[in-house]
Amino acid sequence: MPTVEKYLKPEVIRQIARLDLRAQFIVKGFLQGLHASPFHGFSVEFSEHRKYTHGDDPDDIDWLVYAKTDKYYVKKFEAETNLTGYLVMDLSASMAYSHEQELTKFEYSICLAAALCYLMIHQQDPVGLVTFGEKIVDSLAPKSKRAQIGNILSLLANLEPQDKTDIRNSLFQLAAMLKHSSIVMIFSDLLAEPDEVIAALRRLRHGGHDVILFHVLDQAEVAFPFEGLVELKDPETQETIEVDADAYRSEYLEEIEGFRTTYARECRQSGIDYVPLDTSMQFDRALMEYLINRRNWG
Amino acid sequence: MGFLTPALLAGASLIAVPILLHLIMRRQPQQLTFPALQFVRKRQQANRRKLNLRHLLLLALRCGLIAGFAFALARPTLKGSGLRGKEGAPLAVALVVDNSLRMQYIHENQTRQDQATEMARGLLTKLPEGTEVAVLDRSRATSGFAVDVATAESRLRNLQPESRPRPLEDALQEALELVSNREDARQEVFLFSDLSAEVWTEAAISALNETLAEFPDIRLYLVDVGIETPSNRSLGPLEFRQHILRPGEPLRLDVPVATAGSDNDPLIELYISPAEGEPIKRGQQIVDLSDDGQGQAAFELDALPLGTHQGFVQLPDTDPLMIDNKRYFTVEVRPPAEVLLLGEQRSDTLYLRETLSPSSLGEADQTTARFKCTTDRFAEASRLDFADFSAVCLLDPPPLSEELWQSLLDYANDGGGVGIFLGERARASEFNEGAVTQLLPAKLKRKSRYETYLRPRRLDHPALAALSPYAELIPWNAVPVFRYWEFDTLVGDAYLIARFANNEPALLVRPVGQGRTLTLATPYSDPPNPRGREPWNLLPLGEWPFVPLMNELVGYLSQSDNDSLSFQAGETVSLNLPPSQRVSSYVLYPPDGQSIRRTLPPGDDAIRISTTRNLGNYRVSSGGASGQLKRGFSVNLLPEVSELKRIDPDALMEALPKQQVRLADTLTDVERYVDIGRSGRELFPYLIALVALVWGSEHLLANRFYREAAA
Repeated sequence: MPTVEKYLKPEVIRQIARLDLRAQFIVKGFLQGLHASPFHGFSVEFSEHRKYTHGDDPDDIDWLVYAKTDKYYVKKFEAETNLTGYLVMDLSASMAYSHEQELTKFEYSICLAAALCYLMIHQQDPVGLVTFGEKIVDSLAPKSKRAQIGNILSLLANLEPQDKTDIRNSLFQLAAMLKHSSIVMIFSDLLAEPDEVIAALRRLRHGGHDVILFHVLDQAEVAFPFEGLVELKDPETQETIEVDADAYRSEYLEEIEGFRTTYARECRQSGIDYVPLDTSMQFDRALMEYLINRRNWG
Repeated sequence: MGFLTPALLAGASLIAVPILLHLIMRRQPQQLTFPALQFVRKRQQANRRKLNLRHLLLLALRCGLIAGFAFALARPTLKGSGLRGKEGAPLAVALVVDNSLRMQYIHENQTRQDQATEMARGLLTKLPEGTEVAVLDRSRATSGFAVDVATAESRLRNLQPESRPRPLEDALQEALELVSNREDARQEVFLFSDLSAEVWTEAAISALNETLAEFPDIRLYLVDVGIETPSNRSLGPLEFRQHILRPGEPLRLDVPVATAGSDNDPLIELYISPAEGEPIKRGQQIVDLSDDGQGQAAFELDALPLGTHQGFVQLPDTDPLMIDNKRYFTVEVRPPAEVLLLGEQRSDTLYLRETLSPSSLGEADQTTARFKCTTDRFAEASRLDFADFSAVCLLDPPPLSEELWQSLLDYANDGGGVGIFLGERARASEFNEGAVTQLLPAKLKRKSRYETYLRPRRLDHPALAALSPYAELIPWNAVPVFRYWEFDTLVGDAYLIARFANNEPALLVRPVGQGRTLTLATPYSDPPNPRGREPWNLLPLGEWPFVPLMNELVGYLSQSDNDSLSFQAGETVSLNLPPSQRVSSYVLYPPDGQSIRRTLPPGDDAIRISTTRNLGNYRVSSGGASGQLKRGFSVNLLPEVSELKRIDPDALMEALPKQQVRLADTLTDVERYVDIGRSGRELFPYLIALVALVWGSEHLLANRFYREAAA
């Protein structure tokens, strides 16, 4: 039975041109796939009834309404506290990279960001958008209105990866910019000096922000699927290196694994959620990460 | 190493192509954008080294591939004959089979010669069409190339053992020269032999080396059919005191025995073969062997009647080499030797005459006596014809006429024996000049008055040998010698056979022409009480040992040295005929039972026979039953046939040029060598397999290296 779960797959989402639809599909597919309602237990006030759907906790069924209408309705709640979310997009040229994948890292990140935006607005949470290159390029103040979805998505849809990045600088700038405790969701391939980036992340975390770091890499960057003699070119610096891919693969994998492990370790120590992703993965992983984080806030 | 198509080696120069490509046309790698370059960069240095190494490896593999192809196509051969330009040419092969009697050694029911011929015939079947084959052996006959292989095969089948083989190196030289005439063919010589040390002497090896150096294109294959540790018992050449016996003289013969690889003391039998009928056993002995396996048997036969007697000595047990278990002999018992005794008075000859043929035997028994004595005076001597006598004894000779000395000298030169018993009548001045000096062993110095006695130190001279069994028992000092002649320095060929106790020479021999003289420094005719002077000695009174001693001395004088009746295989036999036996034709009875009639040129005084290849006793007769001529002789094998000691094959190969000579033990070895020798061991299959391997590796590496980007 075809379900909307298929929309969690990047190769399917790619075929949908409009970003708002993409975000809807992703979120719906995600919610459909959950066995338990992701909203259970949130500390929210009752807002409205809605029809029981498969996966809702039967405890939430409003039996009084059932008695009157002979239909199942669940009670819906509204968040008591408003959680401000920032979607932080890395605009570096390297994010435009894709090797044999449907989506570039950038597109993947945008889809994910859009879905999260959708989800958060759905939760009445204010969402803002920040993009950065060597410094912060654009920023959209967080709002929880429905219209905010349109703003954010239109901005996202028009983003282009730029040239070079300076993640550290940009994050420091961001930390200075944020006034209230927020949930900061960073989408980046983190191809910079890890120590600097981590320092910036710590600075952000120190400011009382909750940080979710979506480390988006291309599948090729994770698996190094090349064979034979290849000349590799860095899109940002234009530097080239000639290597024998077969002989080099294991060494590369060690390196990338070490890189990710470093981030995972440092982030764990700093209380940052580190989500390693690659462009071949389904979106639900990222969404789930958000929701768990969101629940903790509740 | 050689090449069948060396021109194709030039293809190796194509190695330049991959090198050029490597240098100027390096293939570009697949270009890819890759943002995560920082991880690549970290280990770039090590990777680049690996990459370079792999580039070089690939280059080496490609060069190796081309070189390997060129090398393989040039068809290298290992240890080939190296005869460039003769590949594919017909073969010229000489098969040399050692057919000496030693090759009759039986191992596993097969003689060495049978095995050699079998292997040689096996080899014949392997030879390609159109091969020229020569079969040679160690017989003296020369041979050429056989008309066809079948002829060669039949010649191999019919090879006879050769009792008098020529030296192996001669046969090899003939073979090498023979094949060297076929200049357009590939030339190979095979020798089938037992690697006997007796054959492969240093001289033989150096001679072969010289011959091989003359023909550097010829390959020589030594096929070893010998046995590693042979066991054998053999009889050596029989040792006779003399072949010609006089009546009453016993036949004494010593038989050397040698064994190898066998511990038991062997039994030896002596047989006498009458002219008709079966041989009769006349003695047997068990010989005690020394630690080195040597021993000696001695037989003595008494009372052989007048005539020719033949027989053999044998080891009756079987052993691998039977041919040397039998030795043949022939002796003749001739009528008593005629001896002329000359004295100043007839009475002077009395003692010697009685010693040689005692009158007590009576006239009837004179035929059984060893000597028939004729006595005469010096004064009458010029009337006598010395040629009628076997020996002439001069008893205490006075100075004689020059003519008489001359005729005695002539007699000795013709083969007669002259005994000179010096005494009172001799005069140093007269005896030291003229013909007599050619008879005496030295110039006379003076008469000595020193009392002494005869004391021979050794009894090994033929004239004394009969006394040797009793050497310890003879009371030499019981018979005094009061006076004797002292001699000056001995002349050239004269030699001393016995001394007096005071070390002065007593008994001397001088060979003269075909005969000999024997001089005793004191007389054997002096009476014990001569008138007016002291006696010279008391020898005539001392019966023992002087009776046998005088018999032996005169017996030695009357011998004719050239009457040998024992010959080696292949030797030319010469039987001297006395005037009474001169015939115009005779019949030869060789050991194989045939009878061959032959004629003798008129006036010839000797029968010469050269067909003595068969071993055994030969008889010669003429005149039918009346028996004018009944003689015989024996032909024995060469003693070296029993030499089974082998030369160390490694040492032999060391001594011969390696590139020309190969050693083989089995037919398989032979065939392998032939194959290799023919065109060398082809390396093509191995090389092409190697090339395939290199190709495969190159392909694998190159594919991994320059993999096409996936579509």
